[in-house]
Amino acid sequence: MKRGLGLVVVALAALALAVAVGPTRVPWPEFAHSPIVRELRLPRALLGFLVGGALGVAGAALQAIVRNPLADPFLLGLSGGAGLGAVLAIAFAAGGPWATPLAAFAGALAAMALVYRIGLAGGGELEPRMLILGGVAVGAFAGAVTTAVVSLADAVALRNALLWLWGGLSGASWDTLAVVCAYLPIPLALLFAAARPLDLLALGEEPARYLGADVASLRRRVYVAASLLTAVAVAVSGVIGFVGLIVPHGMRALLGDRHRVLLPAAFLGGGTLLVLADAAARVVVAPRELPVGIVTALVGVPVFALLVRRWTTS
Amino acid sequence: MALRIARRRSPISAPTGVGIFAMRRLAHRTHLVRVVTLCVAATRTAPAQGQPGLAVTDDAGRPVVLAAPARRIVSLSPAITELLFALGAGERVVGRTTWCDYPPAARAVPSVGDGLNPDLEAILSRRPDLVVLYHSPLNVGAATHLASLGVAAILLRQDRLEDLRRDASILGRLTARAAAGDSLAVSISEALRPMPDLGVRVAILAWENPPTVIGGASYLDELATLAGGHNVFHDLRTPAAVVSLETLAARDPDALVVLADSGAAKPPQFEREPSWRVIRAVRTGKVLVLAGTLFGRPSPRAPVAISDFHRLLAGVR
Repeated sequence: MKRGLGLVVVALAALALAVAVGPTRVPWPEFAHSPIVRELRLPRALLGFLVGGALGVAGAALQAIVRNPLADPFLLGLSGGAGLGAVLAIAFAAGGPWATPLAAFAGALAAMALVYRIGLAGGGELEPRMLILGGVAVGAFAGAVTTAVVSLADAVALRNALLWLWGGLSGASWDTLAVVCAYLPIPLALLFAAARPLDLLALGEEPARYLGADVASLRRRVYVAASLLTAVAVAVSGVIGFVGLIVPHGMRALLGDRHRVLLPAAFLGGGTLLVLADAAARVVVAPRELPVGIVTALVGVPVFALLVRRWTTS
Repeated sequence: MALRIARRRSPISAPTGVGIFAMRRLAHRTHLVRVVTLCVAATRTAPAQGQPGLAVTDDAGRPVVLAAPARRIVSLSPAITELLFALGAGERVVGRTTWCDYPPAARAVPSVGDGLNPDLEAILSRRPDLVVLYHSPLNVGAATHLASLGVAAILLRQDRLEDLRRDASILGRLTARAAAGDSLAVSISEALRPMPDLGVRVAILAWENPPTVIGGASYLDELATLAGGHNVFHDLRTPAAVVSLETLAARDPDALVVLADSGAAKPPQFEREPSWRVIRAVRTGKVLVLAGTLFGRPSPRAPVAISDFHRLLAGVR
């Protein structure tokens, strides 16, 4: 409980820090009514928090249903599908500021449907091994098509499409934030409601069945909800790696395995990590900016190594 | 900015498999002959063969020697294609890249595909006696390969107007149009004299998400300066860099310059977005659109580009 509260405090501090720092200096007297703070830093920090949180929860839930510590929101082919959607939108010069995110979202959903279908190959149930294999295969296929499109396209836009894929929160605005806020509650509620059966599943498939969990329907629900979270994350911010892989493990090390605690903690932890990583991405090489996915990897991997060491020694 | 799907290798008469092998062998043999001739020539006095204009060193430091003025040229860069046409050597261009769209007559030349990592087979099928490549690490391998097949290949830098001035005189000599090359070089030098300073500070946007601006190492930065403006990202030492909107807002340019793709110069879409309206130039509607083919590459049309740019900047003040 104490640690949970600590996590909330850290999350709020991270948000405050992200709004306070930036590549330019905003003097304190002007802070409250500076358009830089109101229109740029604030929506960006909040969007980063929601995206990081969504990725953290999606990662924790997927690791639980496939019972594999390597599972991550992008392992199951969604990044490939979203990337293909985005690149096609840029390649065919679809108009409007929402064209690329919508196409990425559609691509992620298409990949999800395909992987889901492959996952059902063994019969009526989603089979974790088939899910992972299907995810890797669909991801590789989408990646190949993306590379084909990019290699046939104009060099400048190609570079930009790739940069977009590397992930970044520079598209953040109050509009994007409103869309994400309206969208997130449903998949999040679905996952939080599955916390108890996910605990049972952690005991093993057979024991979970004996204890009354409907494993087949649980897997389907959780897979779809986690994919919906990932799809919106990739649509607004590109492919941001490592958050969904590392945060759930870190939270398990800190707060234990119970999903009723783990899922909200993964949300807070993921949000905190991404907000801090984005602050670093904006500040470290200012006036230039790093793709945030690079920072999450650079920061996340050493932290992860430390946590795993603590986890295994205690 | 639109991203176009490249049309794949348009109307080249594809050589038959037998044809290409025979051609390579033949090319190899002529190469040997040429090496022998060169060795003989070298024992006498350099430069070789009484045609001093036909031996040059390219930007990669490779010696390039022609036996006779180039008659069949494959140009692997839009800037070079423009330059060759401006030299009056347009009818000798027998191959171009997909992106060579100026002058209109250039479009009638068969395309050999991309200018970076070019398709050697498509180039050889045009039977060139000179291939001009953009000086990039991606092209050094292709140039060496072409040279080993006995086809003269020259790597030329085309990043600044100064490079183009040099390219004009080099290509003038290699096509035996030295006078035209030198006068073109002179007119480019004249363009290099800056227009009166307008004191207008600009940011040049290459892409909007993530916001990517033109830095000091780009040709566009040079154009802006020559046109009497100041690039607020001149201090960035790369051709282009991703920056945050916050930085753009804080550097507070008087105008935002957007490079439109060739042809359809549709107005940028961000003008109504609240996050972009933090930038004063966007709020006040000072967004200038430049057409891509005239401004996107150093070309003999630079004087036109500079005076057009100057006029646009003067309108901002």
